[in-house]
Amino acid sequence: MVHGVLLAKVPVGDVDDLVQDVFVRALRRLSTLRGNRSFGAWLAAIARNVAHDYHRQSVTAEPLPEDTANEEIPRGTTGADQDGPSTAILEAVMSLPETYRETLVLRLVEGMTGPEIAARTGMTHGSVRVNLHRGMEQLRAKLSAIPIRVGPEQEKS
Amino acid sequence: MDTGNHKIEDKSPIKNDDYLWDRSGEPDPEVQRLETLLGRFRHDSPIPVFPLIVSEQRWAFVPSRLRLFPILATAAVSIAAIVTVTFVVHGTRPSSNTLAGWHVSDLQGNPRIGKKTISGKERERLLGIGQMLETDSQSRASLQAEGTGKIEVDPSTRLRLLSMGSGLNRIALDRGTIHAFIWAPPGQFVVDTPSAVAVDLGCAYTLQVDDSGAGMVRTSLGWVGFKLNGHESFIPAGAACATRPKVGPGTPYFEDASAEFRSALARFDFEDAASQQRAHDVAIVLSEARTRDALTLWHPLARVDDQQRTLVYDRLSQLVPPPATVTKEGILRLDQSMLDLWWNELGFDDISVWRHWERVWDGGAKTVREK
Repeated sequence: MVHGVLLAKVPVGDVDDLVQDVFVRALRRLSTLRGNRSFGAWLAAIARNVAHDYHRQSVTAEPLPEDTANEEIPRGTTGADQDGPSTAILEAVMSLPETYRETLVLRLVEGMTGPEIAARTGMTHGSVRVNLHRGMEQLRAKLSAIPIRVGPEQEKS
Repeated sequence: MDTGNHKIEDKSPIKNDDYLWDRSGEPDPEVQRLETLLGRFRHDSPIPVFPLIVSEQRWAFVPSRLRLFPILATAAVSIAAIVTVTFVVHGTRPSSNTLAGWHVSDLQGNPRIGKKTISGKERERLLGIGQMLETDSQSRASLQAEGTGKIEVDPSTRLRLLSMGSGLNRIALDRGTIHAFIWAPPGQFVVDTPSAVAVDLGCAYTLQVDDSGAGMVRTSLGWVGFKLNGHESFIPAGAACATRPKVGPGTPYFEDASAEFRSALARFDFEDAASQQRAHDVAIVLSEARTRDALTLWHPLARVDDQQRTLVYDRLSQLVPPPATVTKEGILRLDQSMLDLWWNELGFDDISVWRHWERVWDGGAKTVREK
């Protein structure tokens, strides 16, 4: 769950290190936990904070140009060409609103079911189901609009 | 690439997305494809493999090729013995700083690592893989491993570090008491006892083993899975569960249940009683059960005969009615998905967390067999 929450927010290569940071931080803050039933939600909140800190430190260390957000990322530099469509699809997921992004990553990347996501993040079943449904709709729309180069991985299927 | 022109006509979030929700219903090919493609980014921590973890009782589950393991283990022990003798004879030993292990600190008395007593200036050192930590009746110690957790070791305890790193930390508790607070991801900290395997699922707990090998776990945060020989017990915070050699984990219970309830449960779990006595004990458990004892009543559904299962079903239904999708017929034939759905109604942790790790473990076992 922690891995999925982080993957929805930070680059893939940095996720494993940050997973460790989350658990170290959780230990230090254990006394702030009220009731063990909320442990999953509490841990997910710490993971989101760690991701937030990651971005804040990254921005402090290396300010981005103002127009970066609107810049079109050349396909050849995203890794999609090297890794097949997986990276391109992950990028499409990452472009979704944060609420949908996290839930879809836990479902499609981490392989958790909706009830598992609800149990481990503290969200209600209804919220998870709505996030999955609407997130998937938006993902489908993005994937149908984005021309993704057909690679060997797809040709096999 | 089929990027998804399958428009969902019904905008209701609770229809037409059963596969996306919980993999039930008709599989959605596009979701399946996305699962396959995105699965490569999944967290791929090394997998604990239950069939290799504990005691001789597990060999029946292990493929024949893996039964060479005892021979290899014997060879490894022999090599370790030679190395140990060499160090003793030549008066040298490996620097603890160069070894993987748990840091031992906060000592009281004089605990030992192997035959060496930790005392004087040497108030902190490392418990390495394969090493044994032992406390006498006057000593205590604290173990800590960054990224895994902390273990307080009570007096008169003996434990061994079996493995660590690569996502699986495993110790063997031969006897005594430990208090574990684990912050490693669920499923990665495992304690072998002579009568069951305790699997951390994000929690703090106390585990005791007596000289006969019988054990007891009491969970204070999160929950623990207790498993051996197909017996599974789930122990949420506030509950306890005993385990016995050759039997495995008993039925978890809340310790504020009545004395009659707990006595009958202990007989049911661990005494080889005649069927009449067993039925009597089940009847006591059912009559004494309170609503929160649904935790206890759910477990015997899979451990009693058909006639008693009906009685357990009826009583558990009174305490916590099953969800609409769960039928009596399904429970009586031990439909796993229905059992799990009913468990989730009890108000404890979601059993899908355990099933998730079970799938991972089963996958790991399969991978080992395929090799």
